[in-house]
Amino acid sequence: MFGFLKKVADYTRDAVNAANYLAQGLSVTFDHMRRRPITVQYPYEKLIPSERYRGRIHYEFDKCIACEVCVRVCPINLPVVDWVMNKETKKKELRNYSIDFGVCIFCGNCVEYCPTNCLSMTEEYELATFDRHSLNYDNVALGRLPTNVTTDPSVQALRELAYLPKGAMDPHDVSENKRRAGMLPNEMLELLKARPSKDDPSLGIKSSPEINKTKE
Amino acid sequence: MFTTPAKASLAMIHPAGIDLESSFTNAMQGLGLSPQVAHILWLPLPMAIVLVAAVVGVLVTVWLERKISAAAQQRIGPEYAGALGILQPMADGLKLLVKEDVIPARADGLLFTLGPVLVLVPVILSWLIVPFGQNLLISNVGIGIFLWIALSSIQPIGLLMSGYASNNKYSLLGGLRAAAQSISYEIPLALAVLAVVMMSNSLSTVDIVDQQNGAGLLSWNIWRQPVGFLIFWICALAECERLPFDLPEAEEELVAGYQTEYAGMKFALFYLGSYINLVLSALLVSVLYLGGWGFPIPVEWLAGWMGQSIDAPLVQVITASIGIVMTILKTYLLVFLAILLRWTTPRVRIDQLLDLGWKFLLPISLVNLLFTAALKLAFPIAFGG
Repeated sequence: MFGFLKKVADYTRDAVNAANYLAQGLSVTFDHMRRRPITVQYPYEKLIPSERYRGRIHYEFDKCIACEVCVRVCPINLPVVDWVMNKETKKKELRNYSIDFGVCIFCGNCVEYCPTNCLSMTEEYELATFDRHSLNYDNVALGRLPTNVTTDPSVQALRELAYLPKGAMDPHDVSENKRRAGMLPNEMLELLKARPSKDDPSLGIKSSPEINKTKE
Repeated sequence: MFTTPAKASLAMIHPAGIDLESSFTNAMQGLGLSPQVAHILWLPLPMAIVLVAAVVGVLVTVWLERKISAAAQQRIGPEYAGALGILQPMADGLKLLVKEDVIPARADGLLFTLGPVLVLVPVILSWLIVPFGQNLLISNVGIGIFLWIALSSIQPIGLLMSGYASNNKYSLLGGLRAAAQSISYEIPLALAVLAVVMMSNSLSTVDIVDQQNGAGLLSWNIWRQPVGFLIFWICALAECERLPFDLPEAEEELVAGYQTEYAGMKFALFYLGSYINLVLSALLVSVLYLGGWGFPIPVEWLAGWMGQSIDAPLVQVITASIGIVMTILKTYLLVFLAILLRWTTPRVRIDQLLDLGWKFLLPISLVNLLFTAALKLAFPIAFGG
């Protein structure tokens, strides 16, 4: 008898709980209705890539010494360095250089290890082509300057969330000259230089309250 | 039983609302036509108007669905087809209209074509009994709401037919699920309606609304039938195959269920049918539980306070307009709730679905019916004795 009553009570409690959870879920969904869309309307609006963005690689032919470090540090030995040894000057003579961006994983190892800084990462990411072979960039294509989102008149450039002023959530109505929250990298560098040397500068996180104090 | 003559006399005192049919017939007779010819001329007009209203209602609902879905997910939704993407459903419909009509090689051509028709026609036919005002409906048939329940049970046959005729395992599974779902939710739905019918002593939708509008907001059926309202709403969602009950077309499991093999205009029929059904269900919820065309404060009282006669032509036009606006407003509030529920609730499993229908809603709706009957005997004034 009581077993049956307990069953009924449990069932009722389950039903009430289910209704309760449903109401909670509805309130969450309803709350989302008043939030602004986070959509970036792509061909008309574009996000400004972050300063550490690892996009298409830029290459300066004249700086290159054909050392092939980029090939050695590349996970798949991707860059093709086409050089010949000039017997008379006893120097390498670079003829061609190419990277296939259909295969590249944009890890940035080549850029990091290049001894003459002839490789660099750009903010270009629109690499779509009709043919995958057109992704194999030669030294001319690699030497082109990247297209810039901020200077394109047909595009409204939007700042990413981390680059917005404090408290701002929507990039649309933020004026261009309003600086972002937190410190800029060069300010951070100056601060680290100015600090007493006993604190290891590489452990910057340890003394973050101090950084905040000096900022104020 | 004894309320019927009283109600008839009430109707004689209050012709309440404009009667377009009699004015039209009178005007036609004034032109020298016989009453029969005038009646035949009148017949297609409300049908055409309601058909157009249903299709426009669907277009608005599709747009709302997409916009509200977008808002719930912090997206923008359709934007470029017309202002705020209002023409997007039209563009979709136009696209489906000009698409190739494919009948799979091994499918049964006749049943494959008949399926979508059999799904759409009963749904459109059900608009016969949807009232937008005292006389603003196609036909005030005496069996009103029962006709809707009867018509809606034709739908699973069409779904099963199209699922079976497609000669596709996903379609067949979808069709079977649709049939199982419709059958198991028809019964609690009918029982919930029966409780309302018992209180209003009539199956006619007009009488059901009339009986709710004695004291405006307070006399709506939702206060007397809160459980019935919930049961009806859950069952209506299941009948419309809306989330959380969209198992027949669960895209993660069944591609598109019984619609898998359909393209072009036949798919458009299914699409149209499901949205007309959603709007229709929302309309019927507002008719059965939210006072139909009734304003929260009875219009008769408002007219009385303003010292106007309810029979004055201008007041009648305003009353009718308020009625239509109120019906549409209530309907779209419910459509909004359905769309919000879509993004809130996960899909139930088929066993959970049948459990909910047979083991939960059916007993509760039975208890609700008995309880209503008891209340009707105990408090005849409040429960329409």
